[in-house]
Amino acid sequence: MAVLTPELRAQAEAIVARYPRPRSAILPLLYLVQSVEGWVSPEGLREVAELLGLRTAEVEAVATFYTMIRPRPTGRHVVNVCTNLSCALRGGRDVYAAAREAAGLRPGEESSADGLFTVREEECLGACDGAPVMQVDFANHERVTPERARELLDALRRGEVPAPSRGAAPRDFRHACRILAGVEDLA
Amino acid sequence: MSREPVTLTIDGREITVPAGTLVIRAAERLGIEIPRFCDHPFLAPAGACRQCYVEIEGQAKLVTSCTTRVAPDMAVRTQVTSELVRRAQAANLEFLLLNHPLDCPVCDRGGECPLQDQALAFGPGESRYIEPKRTYRKPIPLSPLVNLDRERCVLCARCTRFCDEISGDRFIELYDRGAGERVSIAAGEDFRSPFSGNTIQICPVGALTATPYRFVARPFDLSSTDSTCAHCAAGCAIRVDVRRGKVVRVLARDDVEVNDAWICDKGRFAFAAPDRPERVTTPLVRARGLEPASFQEVLGEIAARCRGGRVGILVGGRLADEDAYALSKLARTVLGTNDLDHRRAFHGGRAELLAAARPMSVTYRDVEEAAAILVVGLDAEQELPILHLRIRKAARRGARVFVLHARRTRLHDLGEHLLVRPGHEAFALERIREALAAGGDGPEARIAAALAEAGERAVVLAGPRLAEHPLAADVALGLAERVGARFALCARRAGDRGALRAGVHPTLLPGGRRVTDDVERGQVEAVWGPIPAEPGRDAMGILRAAAGRELDVLYLVGVDPLRDLPDPALARRALANAGYTVIQGLELGELEPYADAFLPAAAAAERDGRVTTWEGRPRPLRAARAPLGLSRPDWEIFVGLAEALGADLGLGSLEAIRAEAEPLLAPREVPVRSSAWGAAGPPQWIEERVLFTYPLLVDEGRLLEGATELKAALEEEPFAEIHREDAEALGVADGGWVRVRTSAGDAVVRARVGETVAPGAVFVPFNQPGLPVAELLAGRFTVGVHLEPAAEPAAEEVA
Repeated sequence: MAVLTPELRAQAEAIVARYPRPRSAILPLLYLVQSVEGWVSPEGLREVAELLGLRTAEVEAVATFYTMIRPRPTGRHVVNVCTNLSCALRGGRDVYAAAREAAGLRPGEESSADGLFTVREEECLGACDGAPVMQVDFANHERVTPERARELLDALRRGEVPAPSRGAAPRDFRHACRILAGVEDLA
Repeated sequence: MSREPVTLTIDGREITVPAGTLVIRAAERLGIEIPRFCDHPFLAPAGACRQCYVEIEGQAKLVTSCTTRVAPDMAVRTQVTSELVRRAQAANLEFLLLNHPLDCPVCDRGGECPLQDQALAFGPGESRYIEPKRTYRKPIPLSPLVNLDRERCVLCARCTRFCDEISGDRFIELYDRGAGERVSIAAGEDFRSPFSGNTIQICPVGALTATPYRFVARPFDLSSTDSTCAHCAAGCAIRVDVRRGKVVRVLARDDVEVNDAWICDKGRFAFAAPDRPERVTTPLVRARGLEPASFQEVLGEIAARCRGGRVGILVGGRLADEDAYALSKLARTVLGTNDLDHRRAFHGGRAELLAAARPMSVTYRDVEEAAAILVVGLDAEQELPILHLRIRKAARRGARVFVLHARRTRLHDLGEHLLVRPGHEAFALERIREALAAGGDGPEARIAAALAEAGERAVVLAGPRLAEHPLAADVALGLAERVGARFALCARRAGDRGALRAGVHPTLLPGGRRVTDDVERGQVEAVWGPIPAEPGRDAMGILRAAAGRELDVLYLVGVDPLRDLPDPALARRALANAGYTVIQGLELGELEPYADAFLPAAAAAERDGRVTTWEGRPRPLRAARAPLGLSRPDWEIFVGLAEALGADLGLGSLEAIRAEAEPLLAPREVPVRSSAWGAAGPPQWIEERVLFTYPLLVDEGRLLEGATELKAALEEEPFAEIHREDAEALGVADGGWVRVRTSAGDAVVRARVGETVAPGAVFVPFNQPGLPVAELLAGRFTVGVHLEPAAEPAAEEVA
C-alpha cells in the first residue's frame, strides 16, 4: 500500500522541481510522508528514495540524522522538551517530567496509549534565551514551568491550539509537517 | 591541478609543489608521514577522523592536513617538530580507541592494521579510559561478502565515500548522529555492488571484513605475490596471498595507469576454482576409459594423430600472451593449418585489424582525461568493471558520456543512453555521423555535437556487441576518425587481445598480418618458415568442419564449445564426429565423454607470463604457487607437442618467446580501406522480437566455481528483460513467467518489465544457474524470439 496518494505524489513532484538536484528534496519529502503517517515508515523511506532516484540508504541516512523525522509512530501532538545545559539549569528536567505525567506516559513509553501525545527529551532547540523551552508540534513555548506544561497539555487535550511564544501554531504534528514540507502555509 | 607551483616549509624544510596540493601530500613528498585514517589518495578530502593535525604558523588552531591546501610561504609543523601536534595526535588516538575493542589477536586486520600501527607509532602507551566499552551485535552482514563490526569502526567514512564517489553504488551510508553514528545499509537490502570488496580493503581498521577471509590467516602466515588479475581484459594490478599452498585472498595494488587502487569483486573473490576437486592435474589418454599417463605418452599419441592429419584448434579467452604466440606458431609451422580461432563471435574488418596491429590507441588515462566518451555495444560495469570506474571518474571530471547499447548500463546515472535494437548499432552510428553535418536536436545530434566539440579529447569505445554484425565496429571506427576521436575495440577476456595480436585467428598472423597477403605473410615466414597461404576457418567453421567429419583432430584449448559458443547442437555433433578430440585446460567437465586425450594446464596463479589489457598494454602474471600435480603452462605444452612431432619451435623459455615475438608485434601501420558500408539494411528476423545475450560479471563461468559467497552476493537467477511496450502487447507481467522460444529451443524464465532494453529487444543473461542460454542460440548471440506468458513451471523445470 503506497504511502503517498496520487494527489500527494503530484505535490511531491512539484517539490522536487523546485530544486536543481533531486537529492535536495529529501527533507521536504520526508516531512510530506510524515504528514501522512505521523512518522516515516520503512515503506515511506523507500517511496521517497524511489521518487528521487536515490538508494534507500541515502534517504535513511538523512532521516536518522534529524530528530524531527520520527522513526516510530507518534501521537497527534509531539512535545519536545529541551534538557540540554541552559534549559536544564532553568528547570527543563522538571518540565519534561511534568509533560510526561500530563500525557499519562508510563516509564519507557514515548507515546501515550490514547494516541494523543508523544513526549520527547530534545537536545538544544536553539532558544536558550527563553529557557526552559518546550516545543509543541515544532512551535516554541519559552520559559515554561511544570505548571505551564500541564496547562498546555490539558488545552491540547481539549482540542485547543495554545498560542506559542511567537507567531502562530499548527493544529497538530501532521499539520506542522505539511507546512515544513512546503505544501501548506501556516494560517 | 598543475598550476603555479607553491613553495612552503614543513618542519623547516622547504618544498615546492603544484598549487592545490594538500599539506598531507606535500609532507609525503618530504618523507614525513603524518598519521591518518580517513585520508585516501583516490577519495576526496573529508577531515572525518581528525588524526592528521598539524600546526600552521599564524593560525590559532591546529588544522587537519588532509583538508588543507598549500599556500605560498606557509610554515607547517608536524608531529616531528611540534609538541602541541604530538599531544593532539596522541589525544585523538586515545579518543578513537575509547570504544575500540582490543581484540587485535582475533581480528583479521591484526598485523596489517593502520590503527594498530599508528597507535603504536603515535599514540599514548596507555588509555585513561577504564569504563566498560560499548558492544554491539556482530558481525552485521552487509551482504554475503561484507561484514561490519560496529565496535571497531572509527567513522572515517572511507567506505561510504568510496560508494558515493567511485562506484556510485550508494548502498551504505553514515546513519544517525553523535554517539549513535554508524555505517549502515537500508533494512532488507544487500550491498549488491560489484565493487563492494574495495570498501574492505580501504577500511583502516577491522570494521569491514570479507566473509571468505574471516579468521582464515594472519598476515605473517601469508606469502604474497604481485601479479595481474586474469579474469578480464582490465589488467588490474593485484597481490595474491597464499597460505599453505592455497590462495586465500586477493588484494588490489595501486597502479594509476590501470586500476588506480580498485579491483572488482570477481577479481577479488573468485580464486578458488583451481583448488576444486574437479580439477584434473594429470595427462589422460583414452584406453578402456580415460586413464592417467605421462605427458610424453599423451603428447606422443596426439602427435601420431596430428601427423598428416587435418587439425582444427579452438581457443578460450584465458591464454597468456606467450601461450598464444607459441600456439599460433605451432599451428602454422608444425600442424600446417590456419584453422584456429579464439573468438566467440565474428569480428573481421578494419577495426579488428587495427586492434591486432596497433596497441594503446586508447589508454585508461585517455579515458580519464576525455571530454566526451561514446561507449558502443559494451556493458562496461559487467564486462570490464575497472574501465567502467574510469569512465565514471571521467564523468565526474566533466566528460560527457553516451552509451549506445541495446540495454541500459550502470552508467545511466552519469551518461545518456541511446537504446537500440541488437544489430541496429551501426545504423544509429550512421545517424550520428549524418548529424555531424546536418545537426538536429535528437540524441544522435547531441552525441555528434559532443564528439565534434571534444575532437582529440573524444574517445569511442566499441565492445563485444558489435562483433556479430559485419562492419559495425568499422562504422564506429569511421565515426571516430571523422571527428578525430581516439578509438578502441575493447576485448572482454584476459586472453583476447593477446591472442588477436599473436594471430590465434584464421586469417591474421602476429601483428595483424594477413594470411592472404603475400608480403605480410612473408614477413612472418621470414621468422617462422613456410605458412599455409589459404585462410583458415573461424570458430563456427571449425565446428562445422568437425561435425562434417572433415577434421582428424579437434584441439580444444581452455574452451568448452558446449557452453561458450552459440550453437551447442553443432558443438555436440562436432565433438561426436571429430576423429580425435584433445582437451587442454584445468578440468574436463561435460567434455569428458568426448575426450580422447587431456592435457592439464596451469592456472593463472600458478605460472609466469603476460596478459594484454583491452588497451593493448602488456601486464605481468607471476606464479603465486607451483602448478598442481603435473599441470604446466600452456606454452610448455605447445612446445612439447611440437617436439613430439619432431619440430623445434625455438621457444624454450618465456624470454625466448618474447624476444622472437617482439619485432613481429611492434606497432604497424594498417592499410587504410574505406568501409564498404551503406548497402545492406538492418538484420531482419522472421520473428518480431530479438533475443540477445552476454555474460554478466558473475555467472556460471568455470573460473567462478567455488566462489560461493561471491555468487550468493552477486549472481542473479535467470530472467528475461522485456520492454514495457512488448510486455503489454504480449500480456506479460513484471515478475511473471514468460516462455522464450527460438528456433533452437525454449525456456520459461521470469520477466523483468521496464524501459531498460530497447523495444523489440529481449535480454537474457548468458550463463545463469539452471539456464544455459546457449541452448536457445543458433550460431549467434542474437536470435529471433517468440514470447508468450507462461504458467509457473513445476519445480524441476524451473530455469
